[in-house]
Amino acid sequence: MVKFLKPNKAVIVLQGRYAGRKAVIIRAFDDGTRDRPYGHCLVAGISKYPRKVIRKDSAKKQAKKSRVKCFIKLVNYTHIMPTRYTLDVDLKDVVTLDSLQSRDKKVTAAKETKARFEERFKTGKNRWFFTKLRF
Amino acid sequence: MPFRLTLLEQSSLGFYSSEICKALTSSATMVAAKKTKKTTESINSRLALVVKSGKYTLGYKTVLKTLRSSKGKLVLISNNCPPLRKSEIEYYAMLSKVVVHHYNGNNIDLGTACGKYYRVSCLSIIDQGDSEIIKSLSGEH
Repeated sequence: MVKFLKPNKAVIVLQGRYAGRKAVIIRAFDDGTRDRPYGHCLVAGISKYPRKVIRKDSAKKQAKKSRVKCFIKLVNYTHIMPTRYTLDVDLKDVVTLDSLQSRDKKVTAAKETKARFEERFKTGKNRWFFTKLRF
Repeated sequence: MPFRLTLLEQSSLGFYSSEICKALTSSATMVAAKKTKKTTESINSRLALVVKSGKYTLGYKTVLKTLRSSKGKLVLISNNCPPLRKSEIEYYAMLSKVVVHHYNGNNIDLGTACGKYYRVSCLSIIDQGDSEIIKSLSGEH
């Protein structure tokens, strides 16, 4: 009786090219839209997780290993597994429905989310979100 | 409280006490079995009332749909529901703070309890109508 598919909820994508990847809900459309008459949400997720950094890595190598590749997608609720985790990064201004209209807008939005995800990863918070789900 | 018995009384009591023990335990299990049968009957009657007067959905896909939209108020799962599916429904219910009741019976029994001629593995009650199934089951939990 509590709504849980809200912005900042961490979810796992279950279907499609990004199956098994973790994502965060940016905007939820519970009743759907004219084009998508089902419940769906706009998510920003990690398509390439940051790799494990070891002590003997040089600074250049550490920087390369800590990179994160992101994706932005509209996903159906049935293709998502919600989790009990949240990730509060403010991506509402960067990732919008409008940014999915054309390829270069999508690329700029993805670059911005990549920057925000990487800085969150480097602080060491939300460690669960940035670890790959093993299955 | 201990009391002294003569040797003869002790031996005779030994013979009878095992019988008494057997009778006591069998009646105790019978009492326990009767109690679960009584509560299952009351759940069945309440379910029948919900089917008659309330709103409900049957089946895994619609149960998840009602949990996502926070319309479901109570979820019942049969005892032979596959464990992965059962834990998935329980996880969704934990996120949406909905009571899950593990029905004491398999999907055939749950389907019969809903008055249907097919098997029902899980169902979600949206509006309980005239019955008070939600209060009684959440009182148990």
